[in-house]
Amino acid sequence: MEKNSVLIVDDEAIVRESIRDWLKDAGYRVATAESGEEALELIEKQDFSVMVLDIRMPGKTGITVLKEVKAQRPWIKSIIITAYPSGETVGEAKKLGAIDYLIKPVAPDDLERLIRETLDSVGREPTVATKVEVKPKPPAVEKVEVKKSLVITKANFESMVEKLLPEMEVFGVKARHGKYVYDRINQAEELRLDYDVTTTPPTKYLLPARETILKFKVGDESKAQPVIDASPRAIIGVHPYDIKAIELLDEVFMTVNPDPNYIARRQNTLIIGVDCLNPSPRSFAPSMGTRLTDTGFDLLLTDIGHSYMVTVGSEKGANILAKYAQVREPTGEEITRQKVVRDEALTRYKLALDVPKEKLLRLLQDNYDDPYWESRSETCLSCGSCVMVCPTCFCFDVQDDVALSLKEGERYRRWDGCMLVDFAKVGTGENFRHDKASRFRHRIFRKGKYILERYGMVGCVGCGRCSAACLAEIASPVEAFNAIAEVARVKEAAARMLREVPLKAELYTPRPAELVRVDSLTPREKVFEFRLKDGKKLGHRPGQFVSVSVLGIGESPFGISSSPTRDGTFQVAVRKVGDVTSALHNLKQGAMVGVRGPFGNGFPLEALQGKDILVIAGGIGLFPLRSLIQYMLDRRKDFGKVMVLFGARSPAERLFLDELDAWSKNPNIEFLETVDRGDTSWKGNVGVITTLIPKVQFDSRKTMAVVVGPPVMFRFVIGELKKRDLADENIIMSLERRMKCGVGKCGHCQINGVYVCQEGPVFTLAQLRTLREAV
Amino acid sequence: MKPRVAFFDFSSCEGCQLEAINLTGEELLDLVSAVDIVNFREAITERDDNYDIAFIEGSITCESEIPRLQKIRNQAKILVAFGACACIGGVNCLKNHLSMDEVKEIVYGKDAKYYDTIPARPINAVVPVDYYVRGCPPQTAELLKVVKALLLGKKPDIPNHPVCVECKMADNVCVFERGMTCLGPVARAGCGAICVTSGQWCWGCRGLVDEPNTDSEKSILQKYGLTVDQAVEKFKVYNTYTEVAK
Repeated sequence: MEKNSVLIVDDEAIVRESIRDWLKDAGYRVATAESGEEALELIEKQDFSVMVLDIRMPGKTGITVLKEVKAQRPWIKSIIITAYPSGETVGEAKKLGAIDYLIKPVAPDDLERLIRETLDSVGREPTVATKVEVKPKPPAVEKVEVKKSLVITKANFESMVEKLLPEMEVFGVKARHGKYVYDRINQAEELRLDYDVTTTPPTKYLLPARETILKFKVGDESKAQPVIDASPRAIIGVHPYDIKAIELLDEVFMTVNPDPNYIARRQNTLIIGVDCLNPSPRSFAPSMGTRLTDTGFDLLLTDIGHSYMVTVGSEKGANILAKYAQVREPTGEEITRQKVVRDEALTRYKLALDVPKEKLLRLLQDNYDDPYWESRSETCLSCGSCVMVCPTCFCFDVQDDVALSLKEGERYRRWDGCMLVDFAKVGTGENFRHDKASRFRHRIFRKGKYILERYGMVGCVGCGRCSAACLAEIASPVEAFNAIAEVARVKEAAARMLREVPLKAELYTPRPAELVRVDSLTPREKVFEFRLKDGKKLGHRPGQFVSVSVLGIGESPFGISSSPTRDGTFQVAVRKVGDVTSALHNLKQGAMVGVRGPFGNGFPLEALQGKDILVIAGGIGLFPLRSLIQYMLDRRKDFGKVMVLFGARSPAERLFLDELDAWSKNPNIEFLETVDRGDTSWKGNVGVITTLIPKVQFDSRKTMAVVVGPPVMFRFVIGELKKRDLADENIIMSLERRMKCGVGKCGHCQINGVYVCQEGPVFTLAQLRTLREAV
Repeated sequence: MKPRVAFFDFSSCEGCQLEAINLTGEELLDLVSAVDIVNFREAITERDDNYDIAFIEGSITCESEIPRLQKIRNQAKILVAFGACACIGGVNCLKNHLSMDEVKEIVYGKDAKYYDTIPARPINAVVPVDYYVRGCPPQTAELLKVVKALLLGKKPDIPNHPVCVECKMADNVCVFERGMTCLGPVARAGCGAICVTSGQWCWGCRGLVDEPNTDSEKSILQKYGLTVDQAVEKFKVYNTYTEVAK
């Protein structure tokens, strides 16, 4: 607040102007109003210490003005001037808080003295007259606590800042060349907390443009010492979007591999924020969720006119207030006022994202190859201005500098940025992001996608600085985001028009198939051979599954047990466990069933080709693997060594006995089997399936393992394979999940974000490691 | 043994050498403790043609300078272009926009026939150059930086990014926002944006970055009120040889 600011209210120009001139000469800051209405408007926008007020005016009279001022701005001291003094008006004026009155024509000296005395009395006990009339003040604050919102007068805030100045380096927002910048503050009154945006962000005090990180000695005593700056600082006037940017930097620099230089600066920096009430026309902070903040500051101010609401964000903030400031509890009116000014500010933003910010990640991902990146970056100067002024940009270069003695020196880091041509250039001259378009895209992807994926926060806070700094006028992320959203909308609309055309009624309708043969494998398991009634081949690949319907009973998914290289029929092997499987077991040759499919991805035959293949089948895991084994035998030259390991619980639970016998005699494959528990007739291996793995020789660099079995088996088999250095990418597994629809709709088979019936059931171990629910 | 350093001037105002003499006492002591200066017409009277490192100031503007420069190149193990004229041709190249006869006429009038002149060029148009100390004038800090780099046998840390970067580091309000125009977006940094910081604009005295988007810069200059010719003039002052001539 201006300590010596005076408002003169009089409808007579000559009185107004003469008083104004006297007071100006006497060193006061003076404003004038020619009516009560104008006076009240001015008071709304600007704060005054003293008001010199005429009583008789057309429109709102002096008495009306006094009433309103008393309600809204009780701290303004009023001096009445009137040509028609009456006991009644003077008495009423004094009741309304007027200090004193002077009779027109007013003598300059009298007025000046009265104003001086009034100003001197500010802060002292109020006069008797006002003391009687003024409502009891809101209670003083007993304890300043975190999360509390309090009131501090602007004058008191300034004096608090003055008290900080000797204790720490204080930085804050100042005017420069018609813009605002963060700079060193030497006097509190330099601060401009009503600014729109600064040219560069306050993050420069946490990550300076150039910072020494090491000092070293060269040569025989070569040695490096870290250099860390932990001197106390305060940054005053930080807008919420910049506070959010600092929170992102905290995530980047204080979590994985914590950065000592950043931490030292951060922990010794007091952040005094201020709500942004005059947003830059280029800002889109509301769309980025950074218009307001509850966290990330020590203190946060909201300008409510005469005073600030101050929200305490930390113990450090609370201590500063307790030590240096006088604060009080807010009145209900002040709390409302804070809400009103914040809401009004919201209406002043000019730009907005056309899509929720949560959608950016996917939008960008889907439009990586859009021509937009190329066309929009045509005029890019690669000047780096956009990244230099960005509060969430933090990339740096590292260089050594030595003294002329060449014996000692320092290593420093300085701002660098992905929009600069040499940013991704290596010593050999190769530049990994050489063209403008790829740099332009990379920046926007960092802002909307990469940072979000890595640190959980969107990499753009919507301050609009980059678009202000970009001479080519292409840097605004909101423009790029909206352009890509538009591209996506157009694509989607086009796709929707195409999608409306075909309707295939048969998605859920089974195709009739005839059971041409049934064989019992064990008392619980049978193998069924089907032929589609329309005479077509099923067209599957090993590892896929079909849904088999017994109408009236239900439909169940089964892995296909036969190879597509054999016959026009296909086989599924079924363990009798439930309704559909029991119904199947009861069917006789010639019966009709329904079949949908094949579904799923199947084994990656392309990846398996030319490799040595180690098949590991546990129990009925052999059902789908039999399809692959048959396939490899039929196309033997496409594969290297084929090794098959099979484990059953007991000799009685062995499956496909004729084939097992044939494989064991087939010189084209290496076949080993075991049973968990033998019996008197069993002469083969006894032990769990993992005991077979050490018995086979394979080269982990050219071998792929395909593993199917009960869930409990996977962990042990993987452990054994990892002992043999098999890479996660080379371990392939087929998962069992509950499946109903087979077409990625019903949701039963979902593992985290993955639909097993669509992206599976076959996965590499590397893929599964990213799926927490999988194994 | 300390490397022996020589300074030579060609067509220039000799301001670059003056800048070298402007080293602080301490810097100068450090420098002479690191190298022996054996030839420096502007600073010392001794002459010795046995040197390892040659600093060349000025551009090449007449035939007779060519063999002289070649002789220096043959003697020096390391040759450093010193200042804007040597590095990029500089203001001397402004004459290249006229015919050489016109140039001689303008400068020497009736005596023109007695003088020899050729289109001005930077020294790397005549001999290979190992290091560049850029700027008009070059800054002593950069001179020392290049000396240290060549003593260590490493590439000096001279940026290939535009002056805009250093303006942002200095927190300057953009020249364009102050109602003026500037070559900063395409001009090579390293000066600390010294001209803009002191209220001027960038003239591009350190040359342009390796891959300047001059088309975009010219259209921006026009957007901010320059005519096509004025935009080209902006480049001419220092960058006639590398940019305007091509």
